[in-house]
Amino acid sequence: MTALEVRDLHLPIGGQEILKGVNVTVAADGIVCILGANGVGKTTLMRTIGGVYRGAQGTVRVDGVDITNLPSHEIVRAGVSQAPEGRHIFGSMTVEENLRIGAISRPPGELRESIDRVCGLFPILRERLRQKGGSLSGGEQQMLCIGRALMARPKLLMLDEPSLGLAPMVVRTIFGLLQDIRGSGTAILLVEQNASAALRIADYAYVMEGGRVSFEGAPEALKADERIVAAYLGGQSQRHRAPDDDARA
Amino acid sequence: MDAVLLQGIANGLSLGLCYALIAIGFTLIFGVLNAVNFAHSEVYMLGAFAGLVIIQAFAPPFMAVVFLVAAVGAFLGFGLERIAFRPLRRARDEASLKSRALREATLMSSLAVGILVRELAELRFGGDMQPIPSGAMLNTPIAVGPVILTTGDFYIFGMAAAMLLLLQFLLYRTKIGLSIRALSDDLIGALYVGINTDRVIVWTFMIGSSFGALAGLMVGLYYGTIFPYMGFAPTLKAFIAMLMGGLNNIPGAVLCALLIGLSESLAPEIMPTRWVDLIAYVFLLVTLIFFPAGIFGRKAERV
Repeated sequence: MTALEVRDLHLPIGGQEILKGVNVTVAADGIVCILGANGVGKTTLMRTIGGVYRGAQGTVRVDGVDITNLPSHEIVRAGVSQAPEGRHIFGSMTVEENLRIGAISRPPGELRESIDRVCGLFPILRERLRQKGGSLSGGEQQMLCIGRALMARPKLLMLDEPSLGLAPMVVRTIFGLLQDIRGSGTAILLVEQNASAALRIADYAYVMEGGRVSFEGAPEALKADERIVAAYLGGQSQRHRAPDDDARA
Repeated sequence: MDAVLLQGIANGLSLGLCYALIAIGFTLIFGVLNAVNFAHSEVYMLGAFAGLVIIQAFAPPFMAVVFLVAAVGAFLGFGLERIAFRPLRRARDEASLKSRALREATLMSSLAVGILVRELAELRFGGDMQPIPSGAMLNTPIAVGPVILTTGDFYIFGMAAAMLLLLQFLLYRTKIGLSIRALSDDLIGALYVGINTDRVIVWTFMIGSSFGALAGLMVGLYYGTIFPYMGFAPTLKAFIAMLMGGLNNIPGAVLCALLIGLSESLAPEIMPTRWVDLIAYVFLLVTLIFFPAGIFGRKAERV
């Protein structure tokens, strides 16, 4: 069973091809991460899968259903949610309203149960239900962003740089919860600059370069490849000099 | 308080509530799209004309006129969004949805549609004030203590209160209202969580335009001034109320609309009547100089 299957995906924006034939597969209970430098197309890939960018060639299948180039609200309905880069939570609305909006594509009868489930994962959100989203700390906002995405009960959750700007402790908590989320039957596609943290929880990884996948394999295979260690994992010697490097990377 | 002052306050509140109804439509649409809908004054004008045509044709009970005009307004909003806004919104990425170019393009397209509609109305109805059937005017005087109100004042108070409550209900208790608020908070976020943004934008136009059309109907029947150019002055004042309120702030816009209405109604006590129209512009200048984010604006907004 595959939660996500991306085949030969091309995306031209303004005459320039940003994605040049990407192939990515996420198993139904998998955590897959995509590594790569800035500007190689990781975020673009997520936005294309999520229907924010349209006009792609190739196919995107979720649970076997073709969702290529559908509008984003239909893609959420088909079972793909995302916690986007920059979070984009609704700062002037309460945490509860943020969660309710996350469930906008679902039947209203499920709402209470979904909120309970998300608050079970992120207990801090239950305490903050009546607070404005904008009043939360960075880590809480990231949890709200992930919780809001889970309200749609996705088959696949895509996260774009969830560790960005967060303290190492908070990153560890969130990455731990991602494993719980996978355990509850939602596959995860993770774009992350913090490569070592991502590889710790991933069971498969892709490296992107210039709009293409340049390397793929199990985390052990990536860690064994000298070129990848040097480029994305900071290299052995550097790690000794900066022990908290993996939290900031 | 003396009777003249009370009378002035009563008249000012009626006027201010009319501005407020127009300002709500402006503010809703601005909130969602970050763009000013310059055809709003024509929706207001057409609301008044639609009411007049309906009254002349069937003379139905007043509440029926109200519902029909609200429906006409919603239909106009739907059409306006299709003609002047949606074609310019083809790209859905962050940069183009928020771009200055898109805002300026919709500003011009809505202005163009507005001018076209106004000229067509003039071709069809002529540029003069329309005669209003005497029974339809909302000017039967009613004495309340020392103050003389008219049926129109009561209708305007009642209607504005009902519509503000309805709006509150819509925005805070319904799915579509939740989506409208999400869009005006973070359009891109709304796209990511799977809100059908195009549909919500259409709803916003329909709600805002039915408010505008009803304001036109009330003012037309209250002051007896229905003509193709009737939208310009009140819509400009509603626009100023929106700016004063902080652009994306409905309660702020309503309060500022009341402030403008009251000032205009009380000002003739202390200054020549022909200067009254300047008041709103003075408010605008003071706001732009001293409160660039609006009197009730929380953070600096792009104007």
